[in-house]
Amino acid sequence: MTRPESPYRLPPRWTDRPALLRKQQAVIAEQQRRLQELPARPPTIGFFEQRLISAPTAPKRAPRIGLLCQFAPPELVWAAGGEAVRFDCGNSAAVMAGEELVTGDICPLVKATLGQVASPAALPNSCDAWIVPASCDAKKKLAEWLADYKPVFPLPLPPTLDSARYSTWVVSEFERLADFIASITHRRIRRQALQAALALGNQRAALIRRLHEARLAQPGAMSLQDAFLLVQSSLFSPEPIETWIPEAEMTIRHAEAFRASRHRLRPRLVLTGAPIVWPNFKPIQVLEECGADVVSDTLCTGLQTCADPARTDESSMNALLRALAARSVFGSLCPCFTDATNRFNRVLDLVERTHARGVVHYALRLCQPFDLETGRLEQLLKARGIPLLTLRTDYSLEDTEQLRVRVEAFLETLV
Amino acid sequence: MIAAGLDIGSTTSKAVLFDGERILARAVIPNAILPSESARDVLSLACTQAGLDEETIKAVAVTGYGRRLAGFGDLIITEIRASALGARFLGSPHGPIRTVLDLGGQDTKVIALADDGQVQDFAMNDKCAAGTGRFLEMLARKLDCSMAEFIEAALASTAAIHMNATCAVFAESEVVSLLARNVPKTDIAAAAHQAIADRIAAMVRRIGAREVLAFVGGGALNRALLATLEENLGIRLWVPESPQTVVALGAALAAFQPLSLGSPRS
Repeated sequence: MTRPESPYRLPPRWTDRPALLRKQQAVIAEQQRRLQELPARPPTIGFFEQRLISAPTAPKRAPRIGLLCQFAPPELVWAAGGEAVRFDCGNSAAVMAGEELVTGDICPLVKATLGQVASPAALPNSCDAWIVPASCDAKKKLAEWLADYKPVFPLPLPPTLDSARYSTWVVSEFERLADFIASITHRRIRRQALQAALALGNQRAALIRRLHEARLAQPGAMSLQDAFLLVQSSLFSPEPIETWIPEAEMTIRHAEAFRASRHRLRPRLVLTGAPIVWPNFKPIQVLEECGADVVSDTLCTGLQTCADPARTDESSMNALLRALAARSVFGSLCPCFTDATNRFNRVLDLVERTHARGVVHYALRLCQPFDLETGRLEQLLKARGIPLLTLRTDYSLEDTEQLRVRVEAFLETLV
Repeated sequence: MIAAGLDIGSTTSKAVLFDGERILARAVIPNAILPSESARDVLSLACTQAGLDEETIKAVAVTGYGRRLAGFGDLIITEIRASALGARFLGSPHGPIRTVLDLGGQDTKVIALADDGQVQDFAMNDKCAAGTGRFLEMLARKLDCSMAEFIEAALASTAAIHMNATCAVFAESEVVSLLARNVPKTDIAAAAHQAIADRIAAMVRRIGAREVLAFVGGGALNRALLATLEENLGIRLWVPESPQTVVALGAALAAFQPLSLGSPRS
């Protein structure tokens, strides 16, 4: 085993009440209905929607490993012959299920994810093991909860993003992780297999980069909600990435061919902040409905982060792991580290590069690391004359009207 | 030419008629169940007040929580922009308005105005009744007072007791426990005003309390709250005439602007 067995392992608790599952289904159906109302959807978008919706029932062809956050590289799972799937959850009804297990002021993402874990028929339970990065406090403790259900690898992270100091250590943790994955898939990770997996991951990243560029040139080419749908269907489904790539290629080519017939007068914005996770697209939905073009983002579930490739000039095992560490850990914009330089740099760079009129900071209620950065981000942008709007909300839809007032008033100030 | 501004709020609906120079009518009604009904009722009341036929209104701008639910209107603007427009237009005897505090039934807003009167920055309360007009209404009801009695009671208190305002529902139970301890109603009423003033003052300071600070919205009719806020912020607040209808006035001004520019009717 990768860690000493906890003497306090408890019997798993389940919340398979049909009413809660029905509500989770209703949340997804409502999200689908809203997406259907989007203007100019690509004709091939149904593939990605279906891929996300059918993820919990996707046929299992190999041992399956669930990942949380972008810190755990799926390439390691693919290289070991396994299926990788992200299982962070954005379903507001799953939050209620999670509250049967954890009460108190805990972020909705962690509650919803735990709520899914405790539902036998939900996606996480199709996995044979889970990798849980020890990023924020909530995720660290989530790892402990999850270990009651299935084998868990809590992936330790360095306190700061000082790669000169921590790179070797992170690579050694990735080596331990590779051993853990091999113990689940019963196949050791070989150099050629990892190289091939990196190539696949980079192919996905390159496609997402193209989508980002296409939307930057022509924001009307695709709604950000559809763009998120496309990106997240490559993360939150265990289906092989090889089936996603040709469909994404086709859809992105369609977006690249888009030419607006009239001037696009909507203000361009950059979105930063907490992860927006399927099926909760509320913040981007409100922004787009109020008339903004969100042309770029720094979200770990968004276009910019997922467009980062793993760069390597060498093909040794160590070099491949270093490339993954550089992308997944040291390139991270997550606020769980001691300084916000990466994210603030990225926001400023994106504002300049995209000619954005302002920035929207999505502060997920009870996500303390992001909220602790809010005040400093506000000060930083104010000093540079960049308008900023902070949207503080959770997964529920009851405050949609209040959010709309904020967004509309913010957009009015940009005109 | 006459323009109308409607402010369909969470508790009341307001209408102002404006002819480019003068305010012809200001109407306030408690809300009907449906915002579309409230919008029609308040507009027709304003027309009656001014002795005008509704046909003479050339443009209607709608704002407030129900702005999209009213079902009509030639222009929809946010209450933040409307507040700024209305307050700036009314002005004050002490100089131009730089900050607007708008206390409504469901939302509290603080708006910083640039030198040219445009909205520069704003803050709103989170999704919760604490820090809004509804908070005081709920507590008045718990004390079995009318709003007027509740305000008088707060003004009459000399004692200082502390009450939290982080949650309107919990504040109600706090009132019950204070009553059980025989704390006089006057002191409870004062504490409730203090609690909400603390929250509002923090929001004002976050945006910056540049003078002249105009206090508008239904909350500005509350003299006890005004006094508590002034004490808390250490500055005088300017309450314009009919503070409840300032947002509707702003909407009327926004509706009038294109008329005065001679924009085409479609």
